[in-house]
Amino acid sequence: MTHVPVGATTPQAANGAAAPAGRGDAAVSYERVTFAYPGAEKPALENVSLRVEPGERLGILGPNGGGKSTLLKLTLGLLPLPEGGEAGRIRIFGMSPREARAAGLIGYVPQRAEAELGLPVSVRQMVMLGAAWRLAPWRRVPRDVRRRVDDLIGLVGAESYADRPVGKLSGGQLQRAMIARALAAGPRILALDEPTVGIDVAGQRHFADLLAAVHRELGVTILIVSHDLRAIVAGCDRVACLARRLHSHTSPQGLTPQVLAELFSHDVAGVLGEVHLHAHSAGQCDHYGCSADTNAAVQPIQGETRADV
Amino acid sequence: MRTFDYLFDSGLYWPPVLAGLAIVLMCGVLSPLVVVKRLAFVGQGVSHSAFGGIGVAALLAALTPAPWGLSGAGAEFAVVVAFCIAAAMAMAAAADRRAVQLDTAIGVSLVASMALGIVLVEIAKAVPRDVAEGPVFRGWEPVLFGSILAVGKQDAQVAGAIAAAVIGTVWWLRRPLIFWAFDEAASPAFGVRAARMRSVLMVLLAVAVVTAMKLAGVILATALLVLPGAAALRLSDRLAGVMAWSCALGVGGLLGGLVLSFEADMPPGASIVLVMTGVLGVVWAWAGVRGVLTMRGREAARG
Repeated sequence: MTHVPVGATTPQAANGAAAPAGRGDAAVSYERVTFAYPGAEKPALENVSLRVEPGERLGILGPNGGGKSTLLKLTLGLLPLPEGGEAGRIRIFGMSPREARAAGLIGYVPQRAEAELGLPVSVRQMVMLGAAWRLAPWRRVPRDVRRRVDDLIGLVGAESYADRPVGKLSGGQLQRAMIARALAAGPRILALDEPTVGIDVAGQRHFADLLAAVHRELGVTILIVSHDLRAIVAGCDRVACLARRLHSHTSPQGLTPQVLAELFSHDVAGVLGEVHLHAHSAGQCDHYGCSADTNAAVQPIQGETRADV
Repeated sequence: MRTFDYLFDSGLYWPPVLAGLAIVLMCGVLSPLVVVKRLAFVGQGVSHSAFGGIGVAALLAALTPAPWGLSGAGAEFAVVVAFCIAAAMAMAAAADRRAVQLDTAIGVSLVASMALGIVLVEIAKAVPRDVAEGPVFRGWEPVLFGSILAVGKQDAQVAGAIAAAVIGTVWWLRRPLIFWAFDEAASPAFGVRAARMRSVLMVLLAVAVVTAMKLAGVILATALLVLPGAAALRLSDRLAGVMAWSCALGVGGLLGGLVLSFEADMPPGASIVLVMTGVLGVVWAWAGVRGVLTMRGREAARG
């Protein structure tokens, strides 16, 4: 079995860029996070509090426009969250999102459609860039980084197409390669944005297996942001339902077959309402720091009428 | 052959050939990035911004007294480069801030620079000046169509130094630059400064385009940044292979174009671009035939 130790030497560590993460810190903690885009009538996120423990696999589920992408961008430090005010606070292993990004603590898997597939970059080159783009230009990629890249390619099952240009990969293959790239710098958190978009049912099953293997081998904390319930249920320990506010925070088991059946046939407000009521009636949302409002009525998101499955 | 006579008997044409080689190698390295990042129209915008730069340079030359005069070709080149870089940065900034679409920003910059250049040149020509100081403006023809055969030893050295600086910068930034070029949307999440990479590429493009104008003029300079890369991307599915093909096609197009120019007495800039376009046509046709054959082979294998 492939072994890729967490915390193995990374370019950042070699350059002294990575700051040690504090012991006992949450992997990610959101404290009363409120965020509004300039000129927007309503905030995109309102009073979201949530704590993600190291090694946990959290799915953030919600409709388009529900604030998932905003929360992910804030977590990655791509949107500024004013510190110390009413906007709340985000901490990643005790660091601000920008510090965490600079330290390479978060590996990011974007939606595949955004990559420039016309550029003939091979899978191995892409993963290598994820590990070594910060290296001084005169330095060759160290042998241990090369070995780590090979191990990661093996871990995601991409050996057979490691030297193929990414533009010639299927959706599932490209996703595996992107997961390997995200892990290449040795992050402690893996964040995936809508990972099952454009992937068939069989591919989604393989994706869930892959994510389980990555979690088992590397022990990284996993954040999956999706509006696809199947992606969330298959790969997460807990699920946070987000529609501007955090409406529930539960385990996938809390989403029973009856609830799931209703999820696939009800509108979004109904879906979130069912998840919310079920989770809280079962007393499953006692997670530390969770701001899910048990009394809040779930409001439909404008423009959303059905869950996109 | 006239080509050998020109090159080996007179020796006058070695500086143009060497300058041309430096320029096509520089453009060959940038070309795949230009094609993949869809920046061909940016090249057009930058090259046409040279009109404005030439107008500013002419006015400066007319207004500065003789000992400190900015009337030399070197001063003009520096002003044009600075103007084109400023235009490229303005286009990138306008597009980044989403104030306007990039193609609109390019269109505005292109026409405004051309109009400004024409007006400023006329103003400069009207400024009273001692004939001994030389002209403030050498005419639009070299600007429009290039004047590679008029390149001297010093110009060739400048072209070589600029090409070395551009290629060196690409090599220095190769890892973040390729990361950004491949996945611009995701690159900030990895810490790659996307805006900085875009700015660097725009500056390199501006420098390359202005230098390439010596070879092919404002109108055809962009061709050197588009044609080799467009062909190379069909010839290899390896990044290093694409870069190598792009440079090789640039060199081939230059030499082929110069031979055509010498033998048929054609304008060199246009000849070079025509040869490169012909090569691109052959490559695209071959890639199309290869695609059809590969598909038929797969279908036959499936039975």
